Amino acid sequence: MKRWLKLVAGAAALTLATAGCAGSSGSETAASSSGNAPLSGTVTVWLMTGSAPATLTDALNKEFEAAHPGVKVKYEVQQWDGIQQKLTTALAGGTPPDVIEIGNTQTAAFASQDGVLTDLSADKDSFNGAQWLKGLADSGAYEGKTYGVPFYAANREVIYRKDMFEQAGIAKLPASNDEWIDAIGKLKAKFGSDPDFQALYMPGQNWYALLSFIWDNGGDIAKADGKNYKATLDTPEAKAGLEFYKKLVDTSGTKAPKDADEAKPQQATVYGAGKVAMMIGLPWELPTAAKTDASLTGKTAAFAIPGKTAGQTAPVFLGGSNLAIPANSKNVAAAKEYIKLLSSAKYQSQLAAAGVVPGTSTDLTGLDKDPLGSVMAKASANGKAVPASPKWGDVESGQNPVKDMLTAYLTGKKTLDQATADANAALNKLIGG
Amino acid sequence: MTATANVTMPAGATPPASPRDTRVKRRKRGRFGDRVLPYLLLLPALAAILVLLAWPLVQVLAISFRKLDIGQLVSGKTVWVGFANYTNTLSDPEFWTITFRTLVFTAAIVAATIAGGLLLAVLMRHLDPVVRIIVQVTLVLAWATPVIATTTVFQWIFDEQYGILNKTLDRLGFHGFIGFSWFSSGASTLTVIGLLIVWQAVPFVTFSLYAGIIGVPREQYEAAGIDGASAWQTFRAVTWPAIRPITTMVTFLSVLWDFNAFAQIWAIREGGPDGGSTTLAVVLYLKGIAGNHFGAAGAIATLMLIVLALITGRYIQLLVRTPEGGLK
Amino acid sequence: MRKSLPQRIALSVVGVLVALAIAFPTYWMFVTSLRTPGEILSPKYDLIPTSFSFGNFATALGKDNFPTYLMNSLIVTVGSVLCALVAGTLAAIPLSRLRFTGRKGFLVLVMVAQLAPVSALFIPLFLLMRDAGLLNTLPSLLLIYFATTLPFTVWMLYGFVNGIPYELEEAAMIDGCSQTGAFRRVTLPLLGPGLVTTSVFSFITAWNEYLFALVFIQDKPKETLPVWLASFRTAFATDWGGVMAASVIYAIPALVFFLLVQRKLVSGATAGAVKG
Repeated sequence: MKRWLKLVAGAAALTLATAGCAGSSGSETAASSSGNAPLSGTVTVWLMTGSAPATLTDALNKEFEAAHPGVKVKYEVQQWDGIQQKLTTALAGGTPPDVIEIGNTQTAAFASQDGVLTDLSADKDSFNGAQWLKGLADSGAYEGKTYGVPFYAANREVIYRKDMFEQAGIAKLPASNDEWIDAIGKLKAKFGSDPDFQALYMPGQNWYALLSFIWDNGGDIAKADGKNYKATLDTPEAKAGLEFYKKLVDTSGTKAPKDADEAKPQQATVYGAGKVAMMIGLPWELPTAAKTDASLTGKTAAFAIPGKTAGQTAPVFLGGSNLAIPANSKNVAAAKEYIKLLSSAKYQSQLAAAGVVPGTSTDLTGLDKDPLGSVMAKASANGKAVPASPKWGDVESGQNPVKDMLTAYLTGKKTLDQATADANAALNKLIGG
Repeated sequence: MTATANVTMPAGATPPASPRDTRVKRRKRGRFGDRVLPYLLLLPALAAILVLLAWPLVQVLAISFRKLDIGQLVSGKTVWVGFANYTNTLSDPEFWTITFRTLVFTAAIVAATIAGGLLLAVLMRHLDPVVRIIVQVTLVLAWATPVIATTTVFQWIFDEQYGILNKTLDRLGFHGFIGFSWFSSGASTLTVIGLLIVWQAVPFVTFSLYAGIIGVPREQYEAAGIDGASAWQTFRAVTWPAIRPITTMVTFLSVLWDFNAFAQIWAIREGGPDGGSTTLAVVLYLKGIAGNHFGAAGAIATLMLIVLALITGRYIQLLVRTPEGGLK
Repeated sequence: MRKSLPQRIALSVVGVLVALAIAFPTYWMFVTSLRTPGEILSPKYDLIPTSFSFGNFATALGKDNFPTYLMNSLIVTVGSVLCALVAGTLAAIPLSRLRFTGRKGFLVLVMVAQLAPVSALFIPLFLLMRDAGLLNTLPSLLLIYFATTLPFTVWMLYGFVNGIPYELEEAAMIDGCSQTGAFRRVTLPLLGPGLVTTSVFSFITAWNEYLFALVFIQDKPKETLPVWLASFRTAFATDWGGVMAASVIYAIPALVFFLLVQRKLVSGATAGAVKG
């Protein structure tokens, strides 16, 4: 009955349209996916919590609705906990969202499946394709086609206490691995008498930091082998990266657990207690720390993760998200328009001002006014992504062999050779073949 | 709890039964209404179980022979793969280690839960009303605290650097515990997780058994008291027969829940370190749900079901075989 | 049974100690909810807090539409508990008191229905709700919580009815009650503690469920409290003080529910004493 009514309404709308007197406010059934017809219906947008500030999305949705009077934006913020299941079922459900945000390491898992995401290869230009952030763009592509539009990224840097560096007599910020180790020594000489002091807070499983060291030594976690990937954790380059990680842990005498990552316990909170001189983290960890001690904001600055060669910073892992349109979206045309507006310079600069590296704009001036942000922005040029294997999600969904490798090696449970060989085999089992 | 001398079957394996039920009312009149009555009463429960549990379960079995990743789910295509999901799971040498670990873990926490619950239930009967209410409120709080909070709180308590446990041990003179990691091996990680699960499971068992105990007419205890029975004898003669059916039942239920326990294990160390606290439920999530491989998830779930059916089979069998249809 | 005063004191001491041990993690959650972020991870010895801040509670209560989520959770939870109790009691009576073909089969079905890990049923249940057009509605959650707690409810109530001597009903029938009347006046009151235990269990299970609540509901105003609780966690930082404060608030309805039905637990006992 309802369907029948809709059919009549649709036919009526169609007649009106052909008669040339259709208003801009078409009915929902008249939604058209062709380029030039006026857009209508609803566009449902799912962004993740914390991705874009509310001021940005409010303005964006308002501008979009003003520009397309027939379209209503249904904007919803999603939680990270269980998002995989939520997206999966939403895409399979009858009323999928029209624009979704997918974590960059998850994108390949969705893109590699036929008929799940809309192929956006032809629309790259309208999304400012020339300025896409490379590390993110790679993660949104699968077999030469584009499914994900870069949204934003962030990368790690060394967050440090200016006042402590000054008191320890460190005049020049560390620009190489050796200088970094040297700075740790100076900090320990100055503050080491305090039993709670840590020159560098370094949990055993900060594997994103390890990625930097491995890349810096010319290695990688896996390399493409035709359509497949092969783990390369047992190469001398990867081992050199691990050795440097251990050197940092050993020299700094960090009290961080060797069998947990930077979230257990939350490292920003530890930094907030004021007894930590450095941590490897993201700029937005500072506000968390400042909740404990507001004065930290003024005392904190950052430098890029140093490389092995003086003056060359280490490559960094780009964490972030892509935007995609589900293949069975009922309103692809409006969804594309929405992404187009979000990819425009205006909103991208607002993203930068909010403290992240924008995905579709090379204009990073918005980050300059923030000392932590500007360091991150500069380092992002040397940003890299994890292998774009559709199976990579399985590595990060839990029991990451790279993390187990770090713990086994740092606690001395396994030798370097043993730890890397085991992890290599485990990783091959997950992403190889 | 040892069985009485003339019973050859383990006491815990007998189905819930009351000796008095032999005199159950037999309706010979056979009126149509009387014959239909039991089915009418069962109908709501039966319908709900069939539609919302049994049918999905059959579907899980069917899905286990399919490839059902997100692509197939969205397109609605059915791709049969035969036994591939099973051979993949079973060919992993780890699978049997994990199955064994899951069984040991389940047995240990079920035993601890039932023993703890029984002790507490008996204790509660003897307590003054005020103290009893205090104990009950703490139990409900333990029970009602959301898992996201309990897992976090347990991690804080056991934190190697800032945890109150290590700090307390340090104060008591065991200085080696500052910086001691309780999560360095699978066994110690599972012990902490077990403690957490037992802590949250004991309230239910305690309340169930306590409800059984207070159902015992007070005269029976008084009679035992007059006969000069010791506390243990009273328990054996009066309490235990009354709560045995419920104890058996909560044991059975605890086996099901603890075998399938996931949230706590996952939240503490995601089955680590090095897979050392991985149980079958973690495998189900990791290999099936997390990566959207629902065919594999179906196969693992089916295997788990088989293992569970094997452990609880004796109980189910006894129930079916009992003369007069289990109305012993 | 009368006990001597020293015995009573000793028992009370043991009881209080046990209560303290059981309460500790909950106490720790509560204490943490009163702490500032810096105090949560502190090298100081802080078994008993010296300062309190209620900021976390303000944050928690001010977050989103707490009352709406509370209402949704209550509807879904209370609804499913009531359904499960009614269907469960209706099923427990014939299972325990009557003889009929298919009884064994039903008991086996109830048991097997509980064997499967619920997370494995997630996709079939999703497809079921999708095809029934119930996605994104509160009844979808109510039905699922009803179904997942039902086998347990049937099973427990079956056990409790079995534990109630049938002689009591027979005696009532000799006194002139009909069978239904005997059940209602004799067995049902004695079933009180059993109903309370199972309902508290069902309540807490439904109250805490996250996965289905997250996946089946798409519209914010229809979400339930567990989803609200998860929103304190973002990709970058977790407001742990806020989580703990929220958890305290979150546990209160379950506690209230218990305190409401707790009297029944006691009156059930008295009923047993009087009528037994």
